[in-house]
Amino acid sequence: MAIVDTAPAQREKADTRLIVKDLGKTYVTGKDAHEIFRGVELDVEPGSIVSVVGPSGVGKTTLLRCLAGLLPATTGTISVGGRMVTGPVPEMGVVFQDYSRSLLPWMHSRENVALPLESKGVRKAERNRIAEEALAAVGLEGAGHKYPWQMSGGMQQRVAIARAIAYQADILLMDEPFASVDAQTRFDLEDLALDLRRRLGVSIVLVTHDIDEAVYLADQVVVLSGKPASVVDLVEVDLGTERDQLTTKSLPAFTEARSRVLRQIRR
Amino acid sequence: MKTLKAGIEQAWLPIILVLVWWIASEWWWHSTTDPKKVFLPPLSQIWGAFVTEAASGNLAANTFASLRNILLGLLVAVVVGVAVGTAVGSSRAARMLLNPYLQFARSVPQVALVPIIIGAFGLTWLPKIWAIAIACVWPILLNTVDGIRAIDPAVQDMTKAYQFTRPLKLVRVTLPAALPQIMAGIRVSLGIAVVVMVVSEIYGSTEGIGYFINYEKGLYRGPETWMATLVVGLIGYLLSLAFLLVEKTTLRWYHESAQ
Repeated sequence: MAIVDTAPAQREKADTRLIVKDLGKTYVTGKDAHEIFRGVELDVEPGSIVSVVGPSGVGKTTLLRCLAGLLPATTGTISVGGRMVTGPVPEMGVVFQDYSRSLLPWMHSRENVALPLESKGVRKAERNRIAEEALAAVGLEGAGHKYPWQMSGGMQQRVAIARAIAYQADILLMDEPFASVDAQTRFDLEDLALDLRRRLGVSIVLVTHDIDEAVYLADQVVVLSGKPASVVDLVEVDLGTERDQLTTKSLPAFTEARSRVLRQIRR
Repeated sequence: MKTLKAGIEQAWLPIILVLVWWIASEWWWHSTTDPKKVFLPPLSQIWGAFVTEAASGNLAANTFASLRNILLGLLVAVVVGVAVGTAVGSSRAARMLLNPYLQFARSVPQVALVPIIIGAFGLTWLPKIWAIAIACVWPILLNTVDGIRAIDPAVQDMTKAYQFTRPLKLVRVTLPAALPQIMAGIRVSLGIAVVVMVVSEIYGSTEGIGYFINYEKGLYRGPETWMATLVVGLIGYLLSLAFLLVEKTTLRWYHESAQ
């Protein structure tokens, strides 16, 4: 059950394809109906990274919360590995934007990472082993005894990511995960996300307002815009799986994709 | 050497105050003819009373009875307060329904209930425990409700997203998150417990330090009355100290993360 041994090929066989069809969300309060987004279609193949990008307030977080099962969608369906899902599922691990508020301050980081496993019924020794491996996978080996408030923002977010990995999630849902850290740390965490995909074969759906980040990480960029929001463009990003902050960002393909996304958002 | 210096820094004022009290009260008592002096004895006589009663075991027996009542009453208050507080805090419907009644109940001066409780249930130690428990449950219950309500929605999201089972969520997330508020409620209850203990024993009892105070007062024995009153103060003080120690350990994360 060692997570670092799971090769990408094995994950594909497990078929954790996330398919979203005609997803819409409307808030109804009394007689007022407030439509947030409509007709969203996604196809996230196992081991791929999809970025969801759009202007502030368009509904990206609402969409992610619907995918995570935290919010019921008004229309449409979500399926994971061919099974319809209507709530949180063990295949999906969520990484929230505000790491300091989702990590529990009375537990040190290893306990935080192991906690969802306790809910799954995993025994203590096994839980701790998996938690230690997850922490090592995000570069926090040996930091398990530290409390969240003893760690920097970047480290805390790594703990949150480790928690999603330890949960044995095949799909990571990330809500602007790197927005609250400084630029340098953001680059490190972006590369961590790519690294996790490469080593563990997880798929990632990443909501972000940072267009550079969206293009750098993704195989597919989903552009959300309008009021009510809808998918105005789906940009395939063909930069391979081996990416680098320096070289990738100076490739013409990168600039092209970036300009295209920016143009769509600004329309 | 450093601890000796620290000790002196802490102790010099109380020592001086005690000396001043001893000397001034001795002088006043021997030089006055005021009839009130019966109940304003010099410190030397208060000390003498302490030595006598402690030696006879009388003081210990009554103190033990009172302490037992306080601790058991507090225990009941904590268990009931946290349990009911958690249930009410977790349910929006329950909160809206019960809030006016809870606010009313906490405003009633709990001491006023003592005559009814003792009148109905008698002079033995059990009704006193109920009286203390009923008085102490309100700060704990209401603080628990507040503590539960104040839990960060981000934490709720996380437990929902990771499909936490209800027992696990309650024990590992909800209660620890509300603990700072709960402890604040317990701290308030400590003071209330001592007051209700003394009142219930003065009102109707056959044992306890409050009973002892009242009994000695009835015999016009000033030094014994004072001595017992000081013992009550000491009980309250020691309870607070013990509680502070417990709080420091269990809420270490809370205090350290606030920096």
